[in-house]
Amino acid sequence: MLASEPMTGRRDAPARPFSRFAQRLVPMASESGLKAAHFRKGGIAAWLLAPQLLILLFFFFIPSWKALSLAFVQVDPFGGTTLFVGLENFTRLLASDSYRASAVFTFWFTIIQNVATLGIAGLLAFATDQVIRGRFVYKSVILLPYAIAPVISGVLWAFLFNPAVGPMAQFLHSLGIPWDPNRRPFDAQVLITVAAVWKHVCYDYIFLVAALLAVPQSLIEAAALDGAGPVRRFFTVSVPIIMPTVFYLVIMNFTYGLFDTFGIIDAVTAGGPGGATNTLVYKVYQDGFVLLDLGSSAAQSVILMAIAIVFTILQFRAVERKVNYQV
Amino acid sequence: MFRLDLKDRQMGLYFRKTAAALLAGAMGLTSNAAMAQEKVRVEWWHAMSGRLGEIVDQLIADFNASQDEYEVVGINKGSYAETFAAMIAAYRVGQHPTLVQATERSFLTMLYSGAVVPVGELMEAQGYEIDWDDFVTPVADFYIVDETPAALPFNSSTAILWYNADHFRAAGFDGPAQTWQKLDEQLYAIKEQGVSDCSMALAGDFIWSMIEGYSAINDYPYATSANGYGGLDTQYIFNTTQVVGQVERMKKWIDDDVLQIAGQGLSPTQLFTSGDCSTYIASTATHAAVESGAEFDWSATFMPHEEGTAEPLNSNIGGAALWVLQGKSDEEQAGAAAFLDFIAKPQTQAWWSGETGYVPVTNAAYELMLSEGFFEEHPTREIAILQLTRGEPTENSRGFRFGNSDQTFAVMNEELQSVWTGQKTVQQALDASVERGNQILRQYETLHAGK
Repeated sequence: MLASEPMTGRRDAPARPFSRFAQRLVPMASESGLKAAHFRKGGIAAWLLAPQLLILLFFFFIPSWKALSLAFVQVDPFGGTTLFVGLENFTRLLASDSYRASAVFTFWFTIIQNVATLGIAGLLAFATDQVIRGRFVYKSVILLPYAIAPVISGVLWAFLFNPAVGPMAQFLHSLGIPWDPNRRPFDAQVLITVAAVWKHVCYDYIFLVAALLAVPQSLIEAAALDGAGPVRRFFTVSVPIIMPTVFYLVIMNFTYGLFDTFGIIDAVTAGGPGGATNTLVYKVYQDGFVLLDLGSSAAQSVILMAIAIVFTILQFRAVERKVNYQV
Repeated sequence: MFRLDLKDRQMGLYFRKTAAALLAGAMGLTSNAAMAQEKVRVEWWHAMSGRLGEIVDQLIADFNASQDEYEVVGINKGSYAETFAAMIAAYRVGQHPTLVQATERSFLTMLYSGAVVPVGELMEAQGYEIDWDDFVTPVADFYIVDETPAALPFNSSTAILWYNADHFRAAGFDGPAQTWQKLDEQLYAIKEQGVSDCSMALAGDFIWSMIEGYSAINDYPYATSANGYGGLDTQYIFNTTQVVGQVERMKKWIDDDVLQIAGQGLSPTQLFTSGDCSTYIASTATHAAVESGAEFDWSATFMPHEEGTAEPLNSNIGGAALWVLQGKSDEEQAGAAAFLDFIAKPQTQAWWSGETGYVPVTNAAYELMLSEGFFEEHPTREIAILQLTRGEPTENSRGFRFGNSDQTFAVMNEELQSVWTGQKTVQQALDASVERGNQILRQYETLHAGK
């Protein structure tokens, strides 16, 4: 939704965003290239679907039902007493300053993290083509962070930038920057964002390198013959062709920023100082699994689910029509 | 995709815990089968790791060797919070251990959980006689409800003032002053004379020592209804007492780089044991780390008090107790009782206290240690017990009993951090802590009405 703004693709995509999916639902209206299998009896289809449906049942429907049912009660963590409280868990959350602050931080954090990750990964992927010597080392160094567990990398970042003992913090101090993530919320937010981006750049990088390799060499050579330099070729030939990958990465980055950064947050700031780096998901975890306020935690996850659904729909509506899937 | 991912995360956490519980259960089954003829297996989940974990293992081995009916199996489940969460997840699916170690902060949560067998009742039913009157007053007072001990105090502690004697000598002092006002002058002198850049390290549990403990020692009320001893209708009022001045002093120290926040990735204890920071207010259990890690002339003394406080009172207890969970067989309960009886013995108590730095919780154990001359060799080991037992406890100093106290602790931590960052004034942050804390208390009261 963001990264695609400057990279507007062709405008001849379907007018209705979900029409491509809608077409698949109508069995006989198959166009060329779209394959549909038909079963005489429904039995086999049901059997083939069963494993996936079972997984969905256990990993999605039952937990969703649990979260929904917990969101409207207050419960003793041991399961002894359950009190129906209606919407109280939600009203308390929405009235809470710290929850609103957490939502605002989460919003900016995921967006900035997304743009920065894609931008840096894009730059590195573009540069990969230009690196001739030591390409293997170059790639290895970039891919390394992905192999490190989030909590371990979080501890490393926390230590390196610790204002009392961290070497990076000393360096910043020597430049005259009063770096202190324990006392300056902005510093903590910067630290979390940098750590999250560092951890995820390699993921985007792999996909972008692969996508760039798939760009037909003939197109690039043709552009080169027409006198386009490497940068121009990248933006006018490669980028439009790799847009589906970029779109996929935008969604993956949002997923990562929203849901997978809590290991890093736990290790680097534990949501502090004063809740400055408390994302919505970290709060769900903190309130539910550490502080055992299950009702509030369930209500938060229901709100998160709603936000995620709205975001996904918005992204598909806003972005998908600008992405060209056909080369 | 988003929906799936969210649910995956939750299920992942849930399943990890369930899997751990199931695994523990499965292991219990197999070894039960193997030893069905010989010993009854009693599982104990605890939060003691590192050096303390080794001492716990030794304790268990000693018990197992002392008799041949029961076998206690100790399992370290991580931190106190992690152990507690694991225990609750296991309890909900019926895979919980017989014994669990839980902090003093979760006392009320455990007491009214409906999941525990009060230790006093268990010991009586199993025919063990324990002289509960012999337990040190603030410890006994905390764990005994309606004349029945709900849990067995195991590793009890309190906060003391640690200091670097080299730094104090270099600044021209014999040792730390006993009032906050004079200590304030000393800390600034240490800083200004360039003896050290960090006059004090801020402990992670400073709310327990420098706010709750501060209120107890100086006899300031922390909440109504005798700090929760009078009933579940208690309300926090610490935003109206000298606590405001205390937090303002801490804020001033932090702004002037006198008080150092360690932050994530660094333990504040290390800031003290490395010789960087001159003082540190922390649990007496820090003895294990200081004795093995500090390579300078360290010492400790009593927590400071306010200048106007003529006779400082006892401080509050910390540490944890052992709870017996319901839903276990008679044999397992009998095994738990035998183990608790072993732990309550003066010899075990004295050994445990000597090894760890936790306070001896019975007078008999304390006297045993005195008679052995232990405190003459290790004078700082006696500070905690002397501080816990001094004076006559008042309603303000006997202890804190609040429902879901962990949640309030987290809320206060967040609010006070916004004081350090300058986003809120001290009064605003304490008012907000009290308001949010009282919501948590009311939530607990509603859920446990009539208990």
